[in-house]
Amino acid sequence: MKLNRIGLILIVSALAVIALVVGLLVQRQQAAHVAQTSVTGLGLARALATLPADTLTAGPRANGVLQALFQYHDNPDFAYATVTDAAGRTVSEVVAPGTIVPAQAPQAAAGGFDRRVLPGAAGGRGIVEFYGPMADQGHGAAFVRVGFYQGGPALLGRDVSFFASLALMMFLLVPVIYLVIKREVAPLATLASLVPAMGDLPAARADASDIRDLADTLDAYLRTATARIAELEKNALNTVADNRLLQYGSKKLNAALQSTPDGLLMLDPAGEVSFATSKIEPLLGVGLDELLAQPVENWCNDSALAQLLLRCRNGAGDMVRGRTIEFCPANVPGKHLTATAQPLTAGQGAMSFGTLIVVRDVTREHLARQAGNDFVAHVSHELKSPLNVITMYAETLADTDDPELRVESLNVIQDEVERMNALVGNLLNVSKLETGSMSPERNRVRLDDLLRDAYEHALPRAEGRAVRVQLELQRELAAVAIDKDLFRIALNNLLTNAIKYNRPGGSVTLAAREEHNEIVISVRDTGIGIAPDDQLRVFEKFYRASEQGAQAPRGGHGLGLYLAAQIIELHHGRIELDSVAGQGSTFSIYLKMAPAAQEGTTVL
Amino acid sequence: MTQHHILLVDDEPHVLRILRLSLEREGYSVATANDGNEALAKMAVRLPDVLISDIQMDGMDGRTLCPLARATYPDHPFLILVMTSMTAIEERGWARALANTEFLEKPLSPRQLVARLARHFSAPPAKMEHVNVA
Repeated sequence: MKLNRIGLILIVSALAVIALVVGLLVQRQQAAHVAQTSVTGLGLARALATLPADTLTAGPRANGVLQALFQYHDNPDFAYATVTDAAGRTVSEVVAPGTIVPAQAPQAAAGGFDRRVLPGAAGGRGIVEFYGPMADQGHGAAFVRVGFYQGGPALLGRDVSFFASLALMMFLLVPVIYLVIKREVAPLATLASLVPAMGDLPAARADASDIRDLADTLDAYLRTATARIAELEKNALNTVADNRLLQYGSKKLNAALQSTPDGLLMLDPAGEVSFATSKIEPLLGVGLDELLAQPVENWCNDSALAQLLLRCRNGAGDMVRGRTIEFCPANVPGKHLTATAQPLTAGQGAMSFGTLIVVRDVTREHLARQAGNDFVAHVSHELKSPLNVITMYAETLADTDDPELRVESLNVIQDEVERMNALVGNLLNVSKLETGSMSPERNRVRLDDLLRDAYEHALPRAEGRAVRVQLELQRELAAVAIDKDLFRIALNNLLTNAIKYNRPGGSVTLAAREEHNEIVISVRDTGIGIAPDDQLRVFEKFYRASEQGAQAPRGGHGLGLYLAAQIIELHHGRIELDSVAGQGSTFSIYLKMAPAAQEGTTVL
Repeated sequence: MTQHHILLVDDEPHVLRILRLSLEREGYSVATANDGNEALAKMAVRLPDVLISDIQMDGMDGRTLCPLARATYPDHPFLILVMTSMTAIEERGWARALANTEFLEKPLSPRQLVARLARHFSAPPAKMEHVNVA
């Protein structure tokens, strides 16, 4: 928008207005003047006509009325005043300098007052003449004529200061209006300057040169902009929906990370912790606030972990790719953790987000490993001990001639071999049981036969120790669904213990009876008994009751009762122990009776 | 010459019996104990010239007994023989730290033990101060 042009237009139009106003005023003034002149002139002419002729002529009185009229008349338009005789000759006259009195009008003789307009000579002004007959015709005076110049520059000149001040005032309005317009237009101008910046709107006219163009352009813009805004609103709605979706996705991801059983630490490329799941807190014993706000050195009390984390600094996360350390957190005693570092990258490593540290609680695995080691140590000790004894007795057997010692040696060697044999057998069974490869084949079995078998199997061993074995069976025992071979192992283990931990002359009773829909098989001995503390633990793996006194028989390996209990459990039965230290123990097996099924059917 | 006194500590009665037989036949006086506590009680009655102890025992075990015996009788640096099996290599650390303590490999041969003791008692007394064999 060209303000300069507005200014120019303003000036020009102001000048035009001034000219017009001045013109009109002049015209009006002139018209008024003409009217006034005619009134004055006619009046003057009549007044002169009524005067006596001698007052008008310069005759005796040199200073006649006409002279006075001329001298004192301040009308600059006054041209002349003349008195003529009937023939038209001048009797007396007063004439403004430089004026030629025109000839008398022919009508003048006709009498009456009138006026006529005489065109001026070339370059001169026209004259209005008023004339009429004299009332007093003395001295030859017949007519009186008074002439006035028609309006001229003198008339204008008189009001010049008025017009000038008017024009000045009007002209002064120009800058004011200009400034006002400029002020009002300024936002438009700004808008206009912005228009090209509004870009590729199809209706836009880049060359908005005036307000109309600007208005058109703006209108086009507004329409386009409305459409664009509608589109943007739609987009915004879509964006909001997308955002929600994104937020939902990110929350889901976070929930997944938080519910990971492992603790996660994310290090930014600079090596500082930028994210940690709440699982970290119980694992490391460090508060998340502290962890996220403080540098690694301040909160990490575990040197191995600190070393790993510090190695991830300065984008060196790739150096520790896949590295795993194992450590016990200083703040949480008794825990074993592993920490694995993994660089976080995207786009085949083009983008690096830092390093992910996965902290895993391996306490259970560690304990299992330790238990495994303990187991190996225990079993090797259990095998070494009888081997040690066998070695010593074998040497003694070779060296001694004492027949009693030789017999003793042979017996001990036989016992120890049996002990090792039982241990190895039980170990194999335990292993099968624990790996789940021992699945009981449950068949309906006549208990009497099984118990009688076990009883007969135990007899020779009992005789060797001077222990009496009895079998007490209720008549017509109901059948039970059990795995015969497994159950025999359990029974043998119980009987072996009952005989081994007995006294010479003691007894072992194997009994079976029905009781409330259950079959109860009991192994009762009159042996050394089991102390109350031990009673709670005898079914634990590798647990051996404290064996008091040198006379107490040795050779338990802590697997027999464990195995028996496991086998009974496998049959959904239960085993109970009732014992008084020094008086004996009773182990009772409770088995559900098999449902009334056809004889010989396999029950699984 | 007075009889050398040997204290045997093991929770395996068969081992105690055979070793006692073997050592008494060689003219040693032998005391036996089933665990560390009993051994310390026997030591209080009569200090042994050699203490032979198993490691794994119910009650007080060898790991506790041997350092305790050394600490209780600092003026009597009697030889301590620890019966151990090759599997228990990690057990050897604490025994190495004790003065005048050696290992006996399991399974133990009574003949070898007798020979080992004979060598010990025939050696000059100064040698009793040496710490252990590799």
